[in-house]
Amino acid sequence: MPLDTATTVSGLAVSGLVKEFDGIRALNGVNLEVAPGTVHGLVGQNGAGKSTLIKILAGIYQPDAGTIRMNGAIHSRLNPPLAEKLGIQFIHQERLLVPTLTVAESLYLGAEPRVGSWINRRSMNEQAVTALQDYFGLAISPNKLIGELSAAQQQTIQITRALLRKTSILVLDEPTATLVKREVDLLFQTLQRLRDDGLTVIYISHYLNEIETLCDRVTVLRNGVDVATVEPRQTPMSAIVSLMIDRNIEDLFQKRSVTLGEPVLEVRELAHRNAFADVSFTIRQGEILGITGLIGSGAKEMVHSLFGLERISKGQVLIDRREVRLSAPSQAVRSRIAYVPEHRREHGVALSFSVRENMTLASLREHSKAGILIERSERRKVAELIAKLSLLAPSQDAPVRQLSGGNQQKVVLGKWLSRESALYILDEPTVGVDIGAKTEIYRLIGELAGQGAAILVLSSDLLELLGLADRILVFFRGKVVRELDASTADHDALLSAVTGVNDQKPDRAQKSTDYADYTDLVGQSRRVG
Amino acid sequence: MSDVGKVPDQVRPDPLLICSNPPSLRYGATSSEESADLKFVCGENRMSTSILTEHPVQESRRTIWNSQLLVRLSSLLAFVGVMIYFSLAAPLFLSYSNVLNVVQQSAVLGVLAFGMTTVFISGGAHVISGGIDLSAASNMGLSAAIYASIIQAGGTDWIALPVTLLTGLIIGAVNAGAIVGLKIFPLLATLATMNICAGFELVLTQNTVVPAASPLLTAVAATGSFAVPNIVYIFFCLAFFLIILIEATPFGLRLYAVGGFREAAIAAGIRVNRDVSASYLISGVCGSVAAILSLSLLNGSSPGAGEILLSVVLVALLGVIVSRRSVPTISGTLISSLFIGFLVNGFQLTNVSSYWVNGVQGGLILLVVAGSSFSRRAAY
Repeated sequence: MPLDTATTVSGLAVSGLVKEFDGIRALNGVNLEVAPGTVHGLVGQNGAGKSTLIKILAGIYQPDAGTIRMNGAIHSRLNPPLAEKLGIQFIHQERLLVPTLTVAESLYLGAEPRVGSWINRRSMNEQAVTALQDYFGLAISPNKLIGELSAAQQQTIQITRALLRKTSILVLDEPTATLVKREVDLLFQTLQRLRDDGLTVIYISHYLNEIETLCDRVTVLRNGVDVATVEPRQTPMSAIVSLMIDRNIEDLFQKRSVTLGEPVLEVRELAHRNAFADVSFTIRQGEILGITGLIGSGAKEMVHSLFGLERISKGQVLIDRREVRLSAPSQAVRSRIAYVPEHRREHGVALSFSVRENMTLASLREHSKAGILIERSERRKVAELIAKLSLLAPSQDAPVRQLSGGNQQKVVLGKWLSRESALYILDEPTVGVDIGAKTEIYRLIGELAGQGAAILVLSSDLLELLGLADRILVFFRGKVVRELDASTADHDALLSAVTGVNDQKPDRAQKSTDYADYTDLVGQSRRVG
Repeated sequence: MSDVGKVPDQVRPDPLLICSNPPSLRYGATSSEESADLKFVCGENRMSTSILTEHPVQESRRTIWNSQLLVRLSSLLAFVGVMIYFSLAAPLFLSYSNVLNVVQQSAVLGVLAFGMTTVFISGGAHVISGGIDLSAASNMGLSAAIYASIIQAGGTDWIALPVTLLTGLIIGAVNAGAIVGLKIFPLLATLATMNICAGFELVLTQNTVVPAASPLLTAVAATGSFAVPNIVYIFFCLAFFLIILIEATPFGLRLYAVGGFREAAIAAGIRVNRDVSASYLISGVCGSVAAILSLSLLNGSSPGAGEILLSVVLVALLGVIVSRRSVPTISGTLISSLFIGFLVNGFQLTNVSSYWVNGVQGGLILLVVAGSSFSRRAAY
């Protein structure tokens, strides 16, 4: 089947792109030059600005400054129809398929083959079969429903769908996360074939070995800037990794002396239906325990299950040596567990509520008499907390919406500080928070631990964990594979444990795609908007 | 597991083979939170080699579709059982004239439910934010009142017919404007138009019966060839037209895409707002067509048309059971409207108090909704 790519060869040049969100610069002058007919890799840590850059190319975000040059025309901004007209197609991280449509319908939705004014089902089905066979060697009945397919098959459908459009630049954002090796190989072969036919590919991946196998060039992003563009086949992977990592962050932490008290939380052989199994650990008073793991490692589900957000299938949880049942967040709160969620806008704060209302939300009983709220008591407590958190807010009555990301996060922390808890679970506490607020949050976490609380930090930021935690548990494929002492472990050892490399240096000659050199961790910034 | 032999370096004990089957792997997930969960769970599973052939992923999903299949089969069995029971209990039940009578009596309900179905298709299954047209029944009431009033005032069918159809179209357009333009939840937007329609109808008719007789209405009420009432022909022709439109044209496919996963439809370049609007226009016109059928059956417009609304919703919901994909379809709605018709008729023939019908309808709503939400829960 002939490839339906545009015959005009066109490259893409992005220069000086700036994008700010709530005063934080996600992109700070990014330049990217993609030569036509090449596969161009894009790598960077979470929050480096990859997603933002891609969304600007897709026309979803409008840049604050900078230009995009394509087909000789210079654009200061794009919108989705324009991006489509320019021939840019995207495979986003989220799967965008309708579960109740068939395979063939999904492939041709929006450009259905017709006879007269109705759909030519037979031709559509035949074309679908050929396309899937040609691009991926995949034999799926065209009448199967998307909902009946596996994640990998759905991803394949999505890529095939993009290839069927008139495409001159194909942008793939982590396309292999759900694919198995055979499908990855097929995808690469297909992409290479398409490249040889003149297609330009922008390929975003955390799997550096994929970048090495596939890409002709790779651009490394860090803190919203392109720090280097190199040829991956001539550059050692370790050099690329060190380009990605911002070492300066280690200065943020103040080391503290730890005095451990009684065990606060004991977890015994905890298991989840399909995310993790056989997890046991203990956290003592005054201890900060770091937890990390790749997407799919079960770390997040485990932490969620401790707050009753995920149901456990087996195992015991003891708080202060008494067994508790944690099947709902309300039970967890009653067991004196505090949870600071990752998505503060969705779960952590009520944006339209004031600072005071948000902070006292979890401790209303303490501030009421006979069921009636005593505002004076609330005000006193909140004033105290604001001072303690160095919270920058116009007033106690200002809606949280008006605060910056870091200050919103402090409000969430304050909510749980206002009722003394035994265990604080912090889920990615510094995502989307600027450096200044980060330092404050780290200081606060240290203080909490100093006062005898037990703290569990789930984070994908390894340097943050190394600086902040006393011990780090590493999850891999549903199990705790390593327990590291944060004072002696280094970044490389932690990274190896997280990615399952197990201390051995990966065999470079092997060049298979079944291990991760460096991979997105627990999943921050994976989600979009 | 056929790959395993070829790529031995991948055969590593995988404690979490099942991790690629996350419970959160949902379809039609709209919030970014959900898709992130999905990502989180199913990333990094490339060491399992067998997704394409037999993978645990498939397992639970198969049971999901199986549970839907179970709901479908048992309801079809119930349908057949009810029919058999009534045909044994009342010999007249399956007679030619009675069957035609039932179809004729079901036409008004069915036509309204076609419109409701179209709106369900484009709006998705969410109970609160999904598509619904609460104004369907009172649209019919108002349209009928307008037709009857024009005839009463000495107008002819040539004036009354276009004005009535235009009324339905305008009501549909108001709904579409409120939902697409003002971004009001369909439930609330159509609740408002429902009240507007009901109010206008009262103003127009002073809550009385407005008799109407005209050549067109007489012709509609007449019996055509094969002793089949013309209403039945109209009903079936409309059903046929809509089945073609919704199930065989690109427009219909896009309607399903919009309702199935709005973001995916947008990403596919579908003009979502235009298609959603179109579905409310179709529902509006169905309202005025139903008005003409009811006028000819009742020889005029009578107050209380709004009471049929819940039956309309029920019929459109019930139709979901018939579809393989568990989505609303016009053909499913046609079948379920006939089923309700036969149910009511069977009760009458076996001298069961008609008051029971309400109870049975309510029970059916519970069953259908419980059945479908059960399968949906399992799917997540």
